[in-house]
Amino acid sequence: MTIEVRFFAAFRDLFGGRSRDLAVGEGATVGDALAVLCDTAARRRELFAGAGLRAHVVVMLNGAPVGALRGLATPLAPGDTLAVFPLLGGG
Amino acid sequence: MPDFPIPGYHGRVLVADLSLGEIRPVPLDPGTALSYLGGRGLATRLLCDTIDPACEPLGPDNAFVIASSPLVGSTAPTAGRGHMVFKSPLTGVIGTSNSGGTWGAAFKSAGYDALIVKGAAAEPVMIDLAPGRAEILPAGHVWGKTTHETNDVLAADAGPGRPARILCIGPAGENLVRFAAVANDRNRVYGRCGPGAVWGSKRLKAIRVRGREKIAAADPEKYKSGQEQAIYLLKQAPVTKRLMRDLGTAGLVELINLIAMLPHKNFQDCLHRDEDVDRVSGETLAKTLLEKAGSCYLCPIGCQRHTRVAGRDGGEERGEGPEYETVVLTGPLCGIYDLAAITRANYRANELGLDTMSYGGTLACAMELAERGLIGPEETNGIDLAFGSAEALETLVGLTARREGLGAALAEGAHRLAAGRGRPELAMTVKKLEIPAYDPRASFTQALGYMTSPTGACHLRGGYAVSLAFFGGAKEIPRFSLLQAPIAIRNMQNMGILQDSLGICRFTGYAFSADPWARMASGVTGRDLSVAKLEEIENRVATLERCFNLGAGATAEDDALPDRFADVPILVEGRERRVTREDQERMKRDYYAVRGWDAAGRPTPGLLRALRIEEARR
Ligand code: SF4
Repeated sequence: MTIEVRFFAAFRDLFGGRSRDLAVGEGATVGDALAVLCDTAARRRELFAGAGLRAHVVVMLNGAPVGALRGLATPLAPGDTLAVFPLLGGG
Repeated sequence: MPDFPIPGYHGRVLVADLSLGEIRPVPLDPGTALSYLGGRGLATRLLCDTIDPACEPLGPDNAFVIASSPLVGSTAPTAGRGHMVFKSPLTGVIGTSNSGGTWGAAFKSAGYDALIVKGAAAEPVMIDLAPGRAEILPAGHVWGKTTHETNDVLAADAGPGRPARILCIGPAGENLVRFAAVANDRNRVYGRCGPGAVWGSKRLKAIRVRGREKIAAADPEKYKSGQEQAIYLLKQAPVTKRLMRDLGTAGLVELINLIAMLPHKNFQDCLHRDEDVDRVSGETLAKTLLEKAGSCYLCPIGCQRHTRVAGRDGGEERGEGPEYETVVLTGPLCGIYDLAAITRANYRANELGLDTMSYGGTLACAMELAERGLIGPEETNGIDLAFGSAEALETLVGLTARREGLGAALAEGAHRLAAGRGRPELAMTVKKLEIPAYDPRASFTQALGYMTSPTGACHLRGGYAVSLAFFGGAKEIPRFSLLQAPIAIRNMQNMGILQDSLGICRFTGYAFSADPWARMASGVTGRDLSVAKLEEIENRVATLERCFNLGAGATAEDDALPDRFADVPILVEGRERRVTREDQERMKRDYYAVRGWDAAGRPTPGLLRALRIEEARR
């Protein structure tokens, strides 16, 4: 299946674009998709600390933070949109 | 003046009566100081002791109070804020506002903990403060000048010595625009609730301060342990270490759009084209306008945006901003995605002394009224008032500050503008304060924050749901939890009271919460200001603010969102979302209970006793 991944702020430079379509296997999870994306050591280092996400990385699936779903184990469906951005501040 | 027994305070409050032309110091009561700390807490207490909450906000019976805190002017990071409290001419309830820069620290070093200004002068005046000296001086020579001109003139004629810091109003305050601001260090702004109009009604143009009085900590070891921890954490946390400096607050634009919370056309919906949002994003700002980041007093975060933009008639203009709120409320909320126009209007608003947030909310309301034929072409004088008109944004800012043409109606704020045309429900306000740039239908937590903020719809006083829902990590509060919203919002409001009462910046909250502050405050004062003690102070201040508002005539019915948010849904994560009246009632009831207020939102006599609040001490 194909999902869309969108990048924000510094992640645009890291992943070389604003968004891309990503092919993942049936039954793939958020963690699987991110593993496919992180095809270099630098990319892996920026997103992951061990098996989990780094503290300042926020990943959202269709507008909901994956932390509030099932984390990296959240299953994907065709046409889903994954957004990857750094923690932001403001108000 | 006897030596004040508590380190961290000077023990002096200045009282200026502009009707009498008198200014003199009075002792600060030590019990009051420790019960209300400083900043917002202390200023609220002193205001309640000075005015009748039912007074006319633009009359001589209103007053404003500016207070510092035991930490202001110390080496604590960001501790340079002054906090101002007054009865708001926009909302009719308590008004509270602060700003960064350096003025707050300079005020403290002039040797005062707080300043109360009451009465009204017959001619324009300014207040001049230095250690051991407090004077009321004529200010006719700067009346009519912008905040920048006033700053520069008054700083230059201060004479030799330490640099003088200026807090002043611009033409908008002089003309009693209900959302006029007070500015210091040129572009730092006490924006919300219309403090500039209160100053204008008193014919007070400026307060100039300078000084060199230092604060010594009672327990330097304890103070240092908190201060060093705070600085360490600010340098560790990604947001405070780098991200705020890189993108500023406008970095939020794209994210808030992604979570369907970015308002559009006076909150008619949250639908934007991605390419439009892109034109006003923090990234675009950083790439096209940003010259450099800047910092307030002792701030390692550095979120200020020093920018430059092409002028309307060629040439180049330099200034500061825009911030997230300004970008969205004078941009997409008005259907405008022209970052250069937004930036220029922001520059003008800073110079004229206008709150960009209320200006954007009021302009969006005017655009909807025009769309519905309730503001006709005969009133607009040829200005295109359709949604999307950058011309309206840039032209009306000056007309509003000067109350000319349609600007006279805008100067009254969105509520009075819409009510004057028989359609008060088209004003997107709570307690007549224009709603910030987060649609409350996209978060119950945010909705409750707007409803219960003491000042009306404010994300800084009411609580800020975005960081709770998306940046909380393991502690995330889901955005649609009726159950969790009341306690989450109470806690966040209390944290805001603490930050405002210590005179420190909100954005430190992205690195740490109360503990380092408790150690710094305890270390400076040598008193027990543990986290638990501070919580008691936070609850005391929240309840005293409530008492003020009830005294000003507010009721539980005012703790509600405009009809649009209950009646017209927006689409969030594929679901229609609104905040029904039943949901509002339920959250409100639970919130009152969490605060210890009765079902009508009134603090009970038992609570007032427990918190040792004497309601009126006048
Ligand atoms: S974070 Fe920004 S607003 Fe806060 S003190 Fe620092 S520069 Fe000023």
